This record gives sequence, structure tokens and C-alpha cells, in this order.
Amino acid sequence: MNKCQDIRERLGLYLDNELQGEERQQFESHLRECEVCKALLDHELDFLNTVRTSSPLYVASPELREKIQHQLLSKQEELVEAQHEFQRRKRSQAKLTWGLLVAAVLLVLLLPVVIIRLRNNSKAPETGGASTFALMAADVHMRHTRGQLPLEITASSPQQISGWFANKVNFSVQLPNYQESSGQEKLYTLEGARLVGFKDDYAAYVAYQMKQRPISLVITADATAQPSGGEEIKARGLMFHYNAIQGLKVITWSDRGLTYALVSDLEERGQQSCIVCHQGTKDQDFIAPLKPH
Amino acid sequence: MEETGRPNLTFNEAALEHLDALFGYAMTLTRDPATAEDLVQETYVRGARAASKLAAATNLRNWMFVIMRNAWLNQVRREKTGPRFVDFADEDPTIDDWPADADNNPQVVYLRKLERDEVRRAIESLPATYREIVLLRDIEGFSYQEIATVLGCPAGTVMSRLGRAREKLRQRLKNWQTKSKAKAV
Repeated sequence: MNKCQDIRERLGLYLDNELQGEERQQFESHLRECEVCKALLDHELDFLNTVRTSSPLYVASPELREKIQHQLLSKQEELVEAQHEFQRRKRSQAKLTWGLLVAAVLLVLLLPVVIIRLRNNSKAPETGGASTFALMAADVHMRHTRGQLPLEITASSPQQISGWFANKVNFSVQLPNYQESSGQEKLYTLEGARLVGFKDDYAAYVAYQMKQRPISLVITADATAQPSGGEEIKARGLMFHYNAIQGLKVITWSDRGLTYALVSDLEERGQQSCIVCHQGTKDQDFIAPLKPH
Repeated sequence: MEETGRPNLTFNEAALEHLDALFGYAMTLTRDPATAEDLVQETYVRGARAASKLAAATNLRNWMFVIMRNAWLNQVRREKTGPRFVDFADEDPTIDDWPADADNNPQVVYLRKLERDEVRRAIESLPATYREIVLLRDIEGFSYQEIATVLGCPAGTVMSRLGRAREKLRQRLKNWQTKSKAKAV
């Protein structure tokens, strides 16, 4: 595609702050060189500013405000309980934050020791520098397989799981329904899902089984976690980070605003776990680069 | 949660901070002040009832918007003869359908000088799904992902729908500008 045309199609994304990282840098670099595109950007910005500075479009009347206040107060008993619960959750959230902070500090201090021990004790080669997100994903996978992290929803329907997350996380969890739509042999089963705490927020945790072996998929917004460290493998325009953590194979990557971690104890780099989303024959091209050479 | 910076805020104090935004969204959905006020009240009742189940990490504003949208969709389903979302084809007023007073200000020549009322009228004239997405992004400042959560659709849909909505809005404002210029001459 023509570079200018490509840039012009993404003016809105750029001005909405939806372009990140390398994509944003390339966009800005082009604008420095192309006066025509820069002029179009200014024009678009002018238009958006006109719309945005018209905010607020509507203001609630004082009567409505009074009605709502009265309405809330008339439900005092219900509300008092709700408020108490709200505050309790706030406090537990604060504790969780401190807990995570302490855990993070301990992790930083102990990580070299853990890695050395794992390198000495484990047959699987360990890759250092795993991101906190990859470590968290490995941890929740282990806790779930030990029965210490029960699922909050048990369902085999991807739509049901996606719907369950709808009002619980600030991003959209869209699980593919590959094996049903492809008509292929059922290679894995979807078990269910739950929320897991990560960096003052919730991440989405989805559990699968493939031939009695558990696979975990953990999803969060890329603003919350960025994949890093480990062995870097490029495939289909994405950068995958592979880590071996306590004998588990953890693959992390970011795509379209979300960061994913896939955890399993499958062979090699655990690349076969990718079939929970990529089961088609053509997807073998996608999985192949993740195999060790 | 967005209230984390103000941990002592009670639920009703925190929720009331979003009253204007919620009323604006209700107006966008219903286009009728009385219906919008009813919808806002129903949203707060539902919110207060469900507040104890609200996870601490939840963004309260986004959560209230989702409640409002669900309440509105329920109302639309209940009242078959009442308010409803209209298909694009059913609701695409041309420049001639605009309120007459939109043409009465010859001083406004350039787009950047359009007053709030004119922009509001232009947004109000958009089809329902377009004015909703423009309000969420450009007036309320939701990210694409947050809009996807409120609307229950993929972020890619948000992106394409927002592009079409802005194009339509740009045309409306341009048409309006042209008519204003003609009047001014």
C-alpha cells in the first residue's frame, strides 16, 4: 500500500492515541518528512478539536441531581451496606497492592537464586529475564493445576466465557471458536475462566485441557503489561517471548492492545498450546516458527 | 479503579460525579429529556443495588455506562412501540431536515468557530449508532477498548464505526458551513 495512503487511513488512530510503540514512531517519522500528510493531520486535529471542545453537550438539571440524591438516600440501608462493601474492597485492594509490591521486591531479590537453582535442577533449559506478567501467568497456572485457584465460571463455550468477562475487565475478551467452526477433531477442551489480580487490576485467566494436560491463557491490556525478556521469536509480524519457568513453557506477546501469556508443560517450546486459538491447517505456518531449530 | 486516588469516596459520591456524563449518554440514546432523566434514575437504582458486587478494580464510570446501555436496551425490547434504535437507512436526515435556526448565524464561517450548539445539533442529527460512538470517544474520551466494553463489540468494530461516524459528522458540519456562507453573502 502507498505509504501516504496508509498514513492517512490511520490519522484518527494516531490522534486518538491508539498507535503505540514502533507503529507510532514510524507514523511520526513520516509526518516529519511529508508536508501533505502533516497538513491533513492538522486539518483532522482541527476538526476533532471543534467537536471535542463542545463538551459537555448536555448538563443534568439541578432537579435531576436532587432527585438522584434523594433516590440514593431513600435506599439508605441498602446503600450503607454497599458503601461498606465498597470500602472493604478498596482496603483489600490496597493490601493486595502492597502484597504485590512486596512480592515483586522479593522476586527481584530472589530471581537470580531461583534461576540458578532451576538451571541446575531442571532438565528443561531455563530462559532468564522473564517479565512479571510471564511469571504471574506461570504462577497462576501452577496454582490452578494444584487446585488452589478454582475457576469462577465453568463453561466450554467460548462465547459464554467472553460474555462473562464483559463487565469485569476493561478490555474485550474474544475467544475464538475454532474447533467447532473448523469441523476438525476436538484437540482441546475449554474448562472455564476466572479473574486474577495483576498490577492493581484484573487480568483474564482462561483454562484449557489438551489430552489431560492443562493449558492456561492469561490476558491483560498492553498498558498493564508488556512482554519482555526470554527468547525472542518473530512470527507473522508479532514478537513472541519464550520463557521456561519452573519447567513450564511460557509464551508471551502483544497484539492489538492486549498482552497474552500462554502456559503449558507441552513439548519443546510449548508451541502446540497455540492451537487453542490456531487450529487450522494454515495456522501450522504460524506455529512452526516457534519450534526450536 | 479510577477512584483509587480518592479512597474515601463513598459509592454515591463517586457515582454522582458522573451524572452529567450519564445524562449526556442518556440524551444521546433517547433524544428526549424526560426519557433521558428516567433512564438516568433507573441507572442509579441499578448501580446502587449492584454496588456491593462491584470489584475494586472496576472503572466506575465505564461500569455505569454499561448499566445504562443495558437498561436502555431492555426498555427498547419491552416497549415495542416506544423508543428504539433506528437502522441507518431509517435515520439519515439530509441538510434540509436540520432545525431552521441552525442557519441563522451568518457570523460563523469556519468550522473551528462553530459554537457548541451547532456541533451538538450536528451530532444529534447522526444515526443512533454514530452519535453514540462520537459521544463516547470525542465527548467523554473513552478509549477504543473502553468503548468496545460498553458496546459489547470488538475494538476493530469501534475503529471502523468511529471512522464512518466522523466522516458523516464532517459532512454535516461542512454542509452546514456552506449553507451559512451562502446566507452570509
